[in-house]
Amino acid sequence: MTILATEALTKRYPRVTALDQLTVSVGAGVTGLVGANGAGKSTLIKILLGLVPASEGSARVLGLDPATQGQEIRRSVGYMPEHDCLPPDQSATEFVVHMARMSGLPRTTARERAADTLRHVGLQEERYRPIGGYSTGMKQRVKLAQALVHDPKVIFLDEPTNGLDPQGRDEMLRLVHRIGTEFGISVLVCSHLLGELERVCDHVIVIEGGRLLRSSAIGELTQASQVITVEVEEGLEKLAARLTETGETVAVEGRTLALQVRADETYDLLRDAVVDLDLNLVRLEQRHARIEDVFR
Amino acid sequence: MSQPTGVIHDIGYRHYDGPRLGRGAGAVALWVYSLRGTFGLGRTFKSKIMPFLLFGAMMLPTVVSIAIMALLKQEPMSYTDYAVFMQPIIAIFLAAQSPVLVAPDLRHKVIPLYLSRPVTIVDYIGAKLAAMIAALLILLVVPLTVQFVGEMLIDLPMPLHTHEYLAALGGSVLNAVLLASIGLALASFTPRRGLGVASVIAFYMFTLAASAVLTGVLESEGHRDAASWSILLNPFFLVNAVQANLFGTQPTEGLPFPSGAGPALILLAVVALALTGLYARYRKALAA
Repeated sequence: MTILATEALTKRYPRVTALDQLTVSVGAGVTGLVGANGAGKSTLIKILLGLVPASEGSARVLGLDPATQGQEIRRSVGYMPEHDCLPPDQSATEFVVHMARMSGLPRTTARERAADTLRHVGLQEERYRPIGGYSTGMKQRVKLAQALVHDPKVIFLDEPTNGLDPQGRDEMLRLVHRIGTEFGISVLVCSHLLGELERVCDHVIVIEGGRLLRSSAIGELTQASQVITVEVEEGLEKLAARLTETGETVAVEGRTLALQVRADETYDLLRDAVVDLDLNLVRLEQRHARIEDVFR
Repeated sequence: MSQPTGVIHDIGYRHYDGPRLGRGAGAVALWVYSLRGTFGLGRTFKSKIMPFLLFGAMMLPTVVSIAIMALLKQEPMSYTDYAVFMQPIIAIFLAAQSPVLVAPDLRHKVIPLYLSRPVTIVDYIGAKLAAMIAALLILLVVPLTVQFVGEMLIDLPMPLHTHEYLAALGGSVLNAVLLASIGLALASFTPRRGLGVASVIAFYMFTLAASAVLTGVLESEGHRDAASWSILLNPFFLVNAVQANLFGTQPTEGLPFPSGAGPALILLAVVALALTGLYARYRKALAA
């Protein structure tokens, strides 16, 4: 099922081209949108929300055209911006109720869903206190709650882990994953941190300078590669030299050795070399490609 | 530590398939929310003090007027001059509460959250403007109406001032629209509330002074015609002039306002200018 798609989407500003002939398609589940700052992620979201017209090309969100049906799209889409967007003098409950009403929920439903949603994002008693006194992690949760409160079909998250400590990141990513799986809401999550997306996404789209660099399922990006990592206690150089002699391709990477697997014999050669040199083998593992490699 | 007495069951995420109201309902909800905000309702106690104090001040002449009617059987205070008479209070209310409506959303960048929903920027501005107009109407119409009810109940030896009362209601609408447009336009140019308050008050003080000084100078130089126009620099006199021409009421303090459609056109032009400025301001915020 296609949640959103763009066709040769281009956005030119007087000085820069933010999006350049971008053609992507996003299915259900969690999709990561990766790109450095200024790669065109925010512009893409604005166009998809129908807030900014495209210069050329077209887009569809939930089968609707943002250029003409922006309002219907915005009714079933949630958006969590990257920047701070919360009034400090209101409580999370008041604020999320208000935002739910702005999304078109009737008053009593808005209250019920605000309470539910705040509970889901993990805000407890503190939700009755003014937002001004919240930690960054709590504010991010409120931002997420306001995007979820009207039960959207798709949710756009712009750098949801910004400013969070490692534990906060983990919790936020777990939440994003839950939204995509358990809640059954499709997620488009922007980030410039690839490692994060690797953990929660089903599919990753990489853009650079407004162009599509790559779009593929997470499995393709991180499939097992033909490289094994070898770690021995001492004598890494000796081992590397021996393996090179026998015609294998090796590279010393810090305290480990990266060994290209030619064929099954490579494993035998490695075993024999370790035994002959009388080394202590600590680790031998198959390496997985990381999304970072896309950029190499 | 005491044992928990109840268990919270995680019933999981629930989808919503009830009604989803459109942009109109959103705008109305925003209007009510903003109107409540202008009187500090649903906000902290501190934000209620100023608007209610000013509302109390607006009611004071009415109470006195009713007492005079009841005890001395004298004419009530003039309905049509009420806004001009109370202009400092109204101006302070406008200055204090206009930034309350627009500044926090600009300062804390809440606007993108509105725009990612069905409401549009025009709905947003419209709801804020309508909220300020309604707040000013409450401020003006309630005292006038209370006095009129008082006049009806107290049996005075003179006829009811029904025409003056109705003309004053019309004038109140003009006042509310004009002042709300100017107040929000000025306040929206800064995300800082304090600066917003200062700019609206400064604008009022400027028009007050400019109107008085210019009129004085022109009159002493013998330019009576020009002087009658320069009075209109003060928005309260402008509305009073339109009210006098439109409803045939007495100008306040017997001022020699220009007759005809002139003042009404000026009023329309000022409102149009203010609204254009307001819209331009938010267009800029939208593009950013």
